[in-house]
Amino acid sequence: MDMLVFAGASVVKIAVVMVTVLLTVAVLTLAERKVLSWMQDRMGPMEVGPYGILQPIADGIKLFFKEDIIPSGANWVLFSLAPIISLIPAFIGFAVVPYGPNIEYDLYGVTIKPFIITDINIGILYILAFTSIGAYGVILGGWASNNKYSLLGGLRAAAQVISYELNVGLAIIGVIILSGSLSMVTIAEKQAGGFWHWNVIGMGHGAWWWIPVTQVIGFVVYVISSVAETNRLPFDLPEADSELVAGWMTEYSGMRFAFFFMAEYANMILVSCIASVLFLGGYHAPYPGTLFPGILGYFEGIAWFTVKVYCFLFLFFWIRATLPRLRYDQLMRFGWKVMLPLALANIVITSIVVYFLR
Amino acid sequence: MAVADLVKTFTFYEILIGMKATITVFIQRIILRNRKAVTLQYPHEKRDLPGTYRGMIALLKYDDGTEKCVGCDLCEAACPSRVITVISAEVEGEPMKRYAKEYYMDMTRCLFCGLCVDACPVDALAMTKEYAWARYNKRDLRLDKPQLLALGDRNFPEREKKLEFQHPNVAYFNIGHKSLPSKAS
Repeated sequence: MDMLVFAGASVVKIAVVMVTVLLTVAVLTLAERKVLSWMQDRMGPMEVGPYGILQPIADGIKLFFKEDIIPSGANWVLFSLAPIISLIPAFIGFAVVPYGPNIEYDLYGVTIKPFIITDINIGILYILAFTSIGAYGVILGGWASNNKYSLLGGLRAAAQVISYELNVGLAIIGVIILSGSLSMVTIAEKQAGGFWHWNVIGMGHGAWWWIPVTQVIGFVVYVISSVAETNRLPFDLPEADSELVAGWMTEYSGMRFAFFFMAEYANMILVSCIASVLFLGGYHAPYPGTLFPGILGYFEGIAWFTVKVYCFLFLFFWIRATLPRLRYDQLMRFGWKVMLPLALANIVITSIVVYFLR
Repeated sequence: MAVADLVKTFTFYEILIGMKATITVFIQRIILRNRKAVTLQYPHEKRDLPGTYRGMIALLKYDDGTEKCVGCDLCEAACPSRVITVISAEVEGEPMKRYAKEYYMDMTRCLFCGLCVDACPVDALAMTKEYAWARYNKRDLRLDKPQLLALGDRNFPEREKKLEFQHPNVAYFNIGHKSLPSKAS
């Protein structure tokens, strides 16, 4: 009975999160086009529905009913597998993200955390591990298409993801040192009590609380590397419309293409969630405590989390509207010669300060 | 100088300048609402065409409903793309007067240079402002005389007056050119 209640509650939580993420993906496809066009003196989609708000539905129907083409020279096993390998890791990371306060609720004798699907003690490592698997989807898709543009896109993706995932991993080590935990929930809880406790500013609690162990370098490195990791402009070399047609997605059509598309946007959301949990306090408001008591306070936390995530997503669009694509050697040089030393220096300084002052 | 450059590099100064430019446009569009998109929502709103716009070519009529065209073939000779085919014939019973028995324009080849309009001695040809002429069948774009006359009727409702001194049996080329009433457009 206990198992059933627990499983039922988990399924409900997973369903809610999945539906929310898929809806957000749909909203983002429209929001990106709208924000880009507003920044570039254009209008964006205007035809489907008032001001084009039904465009995601039209796009979805179109992609669903489009012909599913497998090129004759393609390796069809890997060709069909690649979108799935790409999509699943993008969604699976949401399992450990804390969406709201870490409260416990008693349901038929079973303790349930309503705003957290699961709290595993290596949450952030789990996300990193699975997002790395997502890169295989891109590489395999590029190779299996039997197309030189796809292969070039896949190769670029391999090199780029390896370079920048290293930086992502190193950038968050400062946060892990500060929190003393790999669990996303614990990291978020440690940042309670006002924006000065967020890891990006990093004021502590003890006698030396007034010396901030700021993680702003780690934050900047993380944001830039995550843009590169999600293959978005200005690091969209694997896709590179103007050089490689559509990179690893050149031969894909219909629902397989939609899977890649959804994976890209889900990855964006996941990366924004991680950034807001690790560096910006997750569900914590910038002021201490909550404005509303009781249940409303929990939803206040969720609202703050949503606001932070959407700010990150807006930043993604904003960067895309502004910057042109980097050259390949620039990308590599930036990753290895600038980001990596910065992240390493951040680790060294953070560990020294934390060792002596915390 | 070197220090300033270093600071600029480390603070992403140039990138921030660019991002300021985009967010400025965004704020002007969405919050201040004092900036408009350059987009024209084409099928719903159309731009104003200039008066000399060179669109589809039409055949014109006089105000009494008779065709202006005298079947002289000069347009066919002037056309650089061999769009026009004129089959000229005598008006029955009036050996001095000719007219275009058949008149074809293959608009798939037309480059809208307007040389035929310039060449016409009786101003029987004119360029309209029609442009949305996409067709599923390219043969639909080989216009014959009724279609070209319909184009003229549709776009030039004010017809030119037939000259009084123009003998009905005689085709005059460019006689009284100066005294022609000016066209409505």
